[in-house]
Amino acid sequence: MTTPKLDTKPKEQPRYLALVILFVFFYTAALSISASIRAHTPNTVVDAGYALPFIGWLIGILACEKAVRVRLPNRDPWIFPIIASLAGWGILTIWRLSPSLGLKQLAWFLVGSVLVILGLGVRDLVPLLKRYKYIWLVLGLLLIALTFFVGVNPAGAGPKLWLHIFGIYVQPSEPLKLLMIIYLAAFFADQIRPNIPLLNAILPTLLLTGLAGLLLVGQRDLGTAALFVCIYGLMLTITTHRRRFLWLIPLAALVAGLVGYFVYDVIRVRVDIWLNPWLNPSGAGYQLIQAKIAVAAGGLTGTGPGLGSPQSVPVAVSDFIFTAIAEETGLLGIAAFMLLILLLTMRSLNIAQSAKTSFGRYLAFGLSTYIALQTFFIIGGNLGLFPLTGVTLPFVSYGGSSLVTNLLAAMLLMRVSTEKATNPLPLKSRQPYHWVAAGFLAILMVIMLASANFAFFQQEKLLNRAENPRWAVYDRYSPRGEIVSQSGEPLVTTIGSPGSYSRQTTYPPLSNTLGYAIGLYGQTGIEQSLYSVLRGYAGVDYNDLWWHELLYNQPPAGLDVKLNLSQSLQAKADQLLGDEKGAVVLLNAHTGEIYALASHPNFDANTLEDDWETMMQSEDAPLLNRTVQAEYPIGTLAAIPALSAFWSGQQDIYSPPEVSSKLDTACYQAMLGEEYNLNPLKFGCEAGTTSVLDNVDAASLVDSFYNFGLFSAPQVVMEVGTPAEMPTTEAYMSFFNTAEQTGVSPLQMALVAAAISNDGITPAPKLVNSYKSPTGEWIAYDHASTEQQAIPVQMSQALRDLFRSSSYALWYQSGHAQLENDGILTWYMGGTTSDWHGTPLAIAVAIENNNPALAQQIGTQLLTGVGNR
Amino acid sequence: MTAAIGLTLRILFFIALYSFLAFAVWVIWKSVSAKDLKPGNILIPSITLAWDNGEETILQSFSSAELLVGREPECDFVLANATVSSRHARLSFHQNQWWFEDLKSTNGSYLDDLRIEEPIVLKDGDDVSCGDVIIHVTIKNNNA
Repeated sequence: MTTPKLDTKPKEQPRYLALVILFVFFYTAALSISASIRAHTPNTVVDAGYALPFIGWLIGILACEKAVRVRLPNRDPWIFPIIASLAGWGILTIWRLSPSLGLKQLAWFLVGSVLVILGLGVRDLVPLLKRYKYIWLVLGLLLIALTFFVGVNPAGAGPKLWLHIFGIYVQPSEPLKLLMIIYLAAFFADQIRPNIPLLNAILPTLLLTGLAGLLLVGQRDLGTAALFVCIYGLMLTITTHRRRFLWLIPLAALVAGLVGYFVYDVIRVRVDIWLNPWLNPSGAGYQLIQAKIAVAAGGLTGTGPGLGSPQSVPVAVSDFIFTAIAEETGLLGIAAFMLLILLLTMRSLNIAQSAKTSFGRYLAFGLSTYIALQTFFIIGGNLGLFPLTGVTLPFVSYGGSSLVTNLLAAMLLMRVSTEKATNPLPLKSRQPYHWVAAGFLAILMVIMLASANFAFFQQEKLLNRAENPRWAVYDRYSPRGEIVSQSGEPLVTTIGSPGSYSRQTTYPPLSNTLGYAIGLYGQTGIEQSLYSVLRGYAGVDYNDLWWHELLYNQPPAGLDVKLNLSQSLQAKADQLLGDEKGAVVLLNAHTGEIYALASHPNFDANTLEDDWETMMQSEDAPLLNRTVQAEYPIGTLAAIPALSAFWSGQQDIYSPPEVSSKLDTACYQAMLGEEYNLNPLKFGCEAGTTSVLDNVDAASLVDSFYNFGLFSAPQVVMEVGTPAEMPTTEAYMSFFNTAEQTGVSPLQMALVAAAISNDGITPAPKLVNSYKSPTGEWIAYDHASTEQQAIPVQMSQALRDLFRSSSYALWYQSGHAQLENDGILTWYMGGTTSDWHGTPLAIAVAIENNNPALAQQIGTQLLTGVGNR
Repeated sequence: MTAAIGLTLRILFFIALYSFLAFAVWVIWKSVSAKDLKPGNILIPSITLAWDNGEETILQSFSSAELLVGREPECDFVLANATVSSRHARLSFHQNQWWFEDLKSTNGSYLDDLRIEEPIVLKDGDDVSCGDVIIHVTIKNNNA
C-alpha cells in the first residue's frame, strides 16, 4: 500500500507565482507606457501611477502566499497562483478604465487578503463552518432581507441590492452565495444517508434555497437567483447520485424567465435585448452591441493594453470587464483567461474528489460550480449567449463584496485541499464529477467559439457598424487627410497635436456637402463617404497600415482628397442664393465634374456641437444637403421628359405639339424675369406642361423619366436621397396622373440639363477629383459610374433650340411646383448650347419660394460667369 | 521607439501568461495520468455492526464511507437505548481504515474499557460500547 502524494511539494510553488508576478508586471508596464504610445511622444513617458496598483497587489499576494505556505503546507499548489493572476489582471484592468475605482478595488483586495490571512489562522475553521451552518445561512438571509428595507443602489437608480454601512456599499447577495454553499454542503454531508428518505433529507434545503431564491427574485436580482438554482441542482445531483435533479436547472430557469419576463420590466428588457439586440442599437441594445464590437476590435492579439477603447461599453469595469480584457488582449487573452478559470474549476473538482470528509467534498464541489457558473453566466451574457445577468466575473469585476467573497471562497478551497494529502474519503463513483467537468469544458468551448466568431469571422462587419465609435478616437490621435478644392484651397483641415486633433472647416457654407466627423453624432457627407481614404485605410501601403495598427492600434495619417468643387464658383453660388432656402448644382455638362453645390440654409461643422439641438429642431432642416438629398416635386419641369416622350415615337422631325397658351401666376412672373418672352413651356406654365402630357402615352413617359435617370440615385460618392420608384406596368396610369409630383433632387435635374447640353449623354457626376498618395502624387479618384445616352443627339438639339436664351449661348427652362406646405418651389435648369466656346456647363436651381427672377439670375450668372472668366 | 517597447512588453506578457498555463496544464496532466492514485479506485471494505437490544441481535451492513450511530431515527445505525446519545458516534473510512469518533456523547464510548477521546481505528472483531450498548464490529476487507 503506497501513500498517495499528489502535488505535495510546497517548495515548487513560488515558481508558479513568479510567472504570475511577471505576467502582471508586463501587463502593468505595457499599460504605463500606453498613453505615450498613443500620443506618439518622442520620448517614452512612463505613467508612474500604475506602480501603485501593481505594488499593492504584489504586497497582498506575497503576504497571503506567506500565510498560506505556513498554515497549509500541503494545499493544492495551483489555486493561489490562479486567483492571484485573476485578481491582478482585474485590478489593473479596472485601474486602466478608472484609476479611482481601481484604487477602491485595490483596497478591497487588501481587505480580502487580510481576511484570508486571518481565516487561515482560525483552527478548525471548516468544522466550525459546518457546525453552525444555520447561523451562517440565517445571517446571509437576514442581510438580504435588510436590503428590502434599507437597500440602496450606488448608481442612484436600479435594483436596490446594496447596504450602505459606514460609507461603504456592501452587496449581501455576494456573501450569501458562499454562505448558501456552506449550508448546503453541511446539510447534505449530514443528511444524505441510506436510511433517511430522500424527500425528508432534501426538504429543508429545498425550502431554504427557495426562500433565498424568492428573496433575490423579490429584489430583482434574477442572475443570483438563477445561479443559486443551478448550484443547488448540481449539488443535489452529486450528493444524491440522482441525475433527475439536473432537470431542476432548465425547469427553474424557464419558470423564472417566464415569470420575470411578465412581472419585471428589467427582465423583459434584458430578454428582448438578448433575442434581438439590433432592434434598438442606440437604446436598450447599445451595451450588448458595444460589447460585441469591443470583442471584434480585439481581434486575434488585442489592441494592446491601454491602446483600445473599452470604455465605449457602458459599465466596462463591472458587468462588462470581460469585453475590456477581450478588446485589449484579443482572442489570445480570452483563451488564456478561460484556461485560468477552467484550471481553477478543475482543481476544485479534484479537491472535491480527494476530500477527507463529505462536508469538504461537497463544499469544494459547490465552490467549483459557483466560480464556473458565475463566469459562464456573465461572459455568456456579455457575448449574447444568455440574457444578461448582473453577476460579477469572479476575482476580476469591480466590486468589493464580490472580490472579498471570492477570496474567502478560494481560502476555503485551499483549506479543504490540505485534506487530500491523507487518504481521501472513497467515492461511490467518479463519473458525475467527470460529467460536470465535461459540461464546464463544453460551455467554455462555446464561449471561445462565440468570441472567435465576433473577433474573427464577423470582425469586419461589426467594426464597420455605425455604432462603433472608435474612428473618433483614431481621429484624435492620428490626423485625417485634408479636403481641398480643385485649385487646392483647403476646405477641411486637421488642427491640433496627437491626442487632441480636431477637424476645422475653412469654408463653412459647404458643411452640408463636406459633412462632419464628430464622435457623438457620427459622420456625414464627404467625411463619411471618403472615410477610408481620409482616415488612412485606403490608398496607403498595406504593410504600413498593418504595422501602424499593430504598434499603435491606429490607422496611419489619412490621405488628402481633392474635390472638383471650385471655390470661386461655390462662393458665387452661395452668395447669389443668399438667404433663400434651396439648392444650386453646377456641373461640367461634358465630364460631369461638379463645380458648385450650394444648399441653404446650411450648418457650420465647426460649431455643430454647440448648435446641434437648434439644428435638429429647426423646421428648415439645415442639416439636410438639399443638392442631393432633397426630394422636390419635379413640377412643370416635367415638360422636358414629356416632350422627349412625345418625340420618341417620331423619326427626326422634332416639333412640339399644340400647346395651350393659358398662363398662371407663377409662369407669368417667370416670363417677366430675365427676358420678356411668352413661351409657355420655357417658363413652365402648368397648362403648357399638361398639353404635352396629354399627347403622350404613360409607357413612353415612364421610359423617358427612366432614361433621364429620374428613377435612379446618382452615383456621387455621397449619401443621396431616395429616388422616386419606377412604377410597375399596372401603376403606369396612376404615375401618369401624378407625374408632376415625382420627387427629384437638384443634382438629378442638373444631370438632365447636362444631358441636353451634352448631345443627349448624361455624364457620370464626379465630385471627387483625386487623392494624394503617401508619396505626394495626386492619384485620380476612380469613379465607378459611367455616362448614359439619355436621348438621341437630334432630340437634344431640338430641346436646346426650343428653350434657347435670346441673349446668350444658353438654353434654360424655368418651372415651379406645389410644395406640401402650399408654398411654391421655383425651379430653373439650363446649360450651354453647342455654339458656346467655353467649358460646357449645366445647372439646376431650386428655391423654396416663388422667386423665378432670382433663379434665372443665378442660372445666367453662374453659366455665363464661367465662360467670361 | 515607445511603440516597439510596448509591443515587446505585450509579447512578454503573453509569454509569461502562457508559460504559467502550460506549466500548470503539464503538471496537472502528469498527476492526473498517474492512474493508481485515483481516490475512486479504493473500495470501501464493508462494515457490519451488531448489537443486542435484549430481544434480538440487530445486524446491519454498510457500504457508505460515513456512518452515524445514535438514538435518533436519522442515524444510520439506530441504538434504541436511553444511555445512548441522540448522535453518539461517527464511523468513517479514510486512510484505508475504519475510524470511530465519539461525538461528545453523554455517557461516552469505550473500546476495551478505554474511553474513546480521539478518533481511533477499528479492527475486525472489535467490541465498542456506546453507553450500555455493545456493538460488535465485523470488517470484510475487499481490497485484500
